[in-house]
Amino acid sequence: MTASRVSIVLGPGVAAVEGAPPLAYREVDLLDRPDRADRRFSLTVAPGEVVAAIGDEGSGIERLGRLALGLEAPAAGAVEVFGVPIALLPYYDLLAFRRRLGYLPDGDGLLQNLTLKDNVALPVRFATDHRLREVEARVAQLVEDFRLRSIQALRPAQANEEDRRRAAMARAVALNPRLVVLELPFVGLTSRAATDLLDKVSRGDDGSRRAVLLTSRDLTPSVRGLVSRIVRVTDGVGAEDSKRESAWR
Amino acid sequence: MLGGLARFVVRAVRAAARLTRAGRWVMLRVLINQIRFTALQAIGLVAFLAAILAFLVISQSIRQLGRFGAVDNLGTIMVVAVIRELGPLLTALIVVSRSGTAIAAEMATNRVMGEVTALEAMGIDPYIYLVLPRMLGAIVSVATLMVLFDGVALLSGYVAATTNGMALSRYTAIVLKTLSAKDVWLTLAKGVFFGAAVALFCSYHGLAVKAGPTEIPQAVTRGVVATIVAIFILSAVFVVIAT
Repeated sequence: MTASRVSIVLGPGVAAVEGAPPLAYREVDLLDRPDRADRRFSLTVAPGEVVAAIGDEGSGIERLGRLALGLEAPAAGAVEVFGVPIALLPYYDLLAFRRRLGYLPDGDGLLQNLTLKDNVALPVRFATDHRLREVEARVAQLVEDFRLRSIQALRPAQANEEDRRRAAMARAVALNPRLVVLELPFVGLTSRAATDLLDKVSRGDDGSRRAVLLTSRDLTPSVRGLVSRIVRVTDGVGAEDSKRESAWR
Repeated sequence: MLGGLARFVVRAVRAAARLTRAGRWVMLRVLINQIRFTALQAIGLVAFLAAILAFLVISQSIRQLGRFGAVDNLGTIMVVAVIRELGPLLTALIVVSRSGTAIAAEMATNRVMGEVTALEAMGIDPYIYLVLPRMLGAIVSVATLMVLFDGVALLSGYVAATTNGMALSRYTAIVLKTLSAKDVWLTLAKGVFFGAAVALFCSYHGLAVKAGPTEIPQAVTRGVVATIVAIFILSAVFVVIAT
């Protein structure tokens, strides 16, 4: 185990708005129906809060991650990340801004021609001007934290689903983001693995809680225990769901 | 297609202009890999084809030209036909068939598997990580392989000449009389343009995939065909420029 935490400092970029919530959806049209003003989605994720948006296929949760990262612009409404309307940023400012966010796309999005370790290392190598030794120390720490050491030399196609997800999550938090967005992160995982991963992802390098938005079809009881709030999305509209109602079915 | 290609080139140039120090290091790793696949692993094939082509052309030329007492024109055939035209063309076609297909297939797979989106989500410009290293790698590789092709062709021509009874000194004198600095510059210029064409067309068609995995082979075919057409057109342009 690495003795001390290795911090990675990002270069300058678009400044976050002081005191703004990490993530806010304001009256967003998730289903591309401009004629239905009553079908709008609003949600605010506070600092340190772990919010789960659950919903069936076609409910609109598939787009929450892409909207949060500015990978697509909402047809109506706005998405603000740390107070910045992310979809309005110019392309290169947007790229720089995204380095402050952690993202696990649906599937995992690992680069198939890289080893799991190189996948984890990629954002660290790319986004910082740190010395090679510092970058490697950070990567070694992530490999250790996410229990990838014995399989770090494998390529994604050679690893099992849980290990691929571990690598993808390690990559998502490689730059120690204050906000992490996870798209369907627990599909195909055991409850134990899901709990373990969510616990790791929701803790920052300094031990403080990160803001996390995760999308899921449903949640196991153990994962539910780590979630601050659950929002059930139906037909493009979100509604607060008590944890009890969202229990494992 | 031309509009999309123009936008693609502009994006690549903008990405190159915004390359950071860290980005350069990451790109360098990909570039080295690309040169390994495109140039190093093709050396044997290029050398073999250069040797066979030059041997056949020179052997036949000595026999046919000898009948008319025009063996001194052997230099023109060697330099103009083999070194200036066939060498670059054949080298580029080898690179298209080996690496162009791989580039197009890889880019299309990157797109279909969501890897391009994942790169953008990490704040990495896919043009820096995917396109630029392949572009530079293909340019360096094609130019280097063309020089290799010419070298092997000259040596093989010598073997063919001596096999057909010509002395080394005469062969050297005939070839050197025709060979000029312009041939060297033309070879290098063709290397740059042909290499850029391979990476450009194959990357463009690879990244243009949208529908899913079934589109990958179609993207590869489109990329390779477009590159071959571009290389022949560029060859014709070079002939006009050279004359």
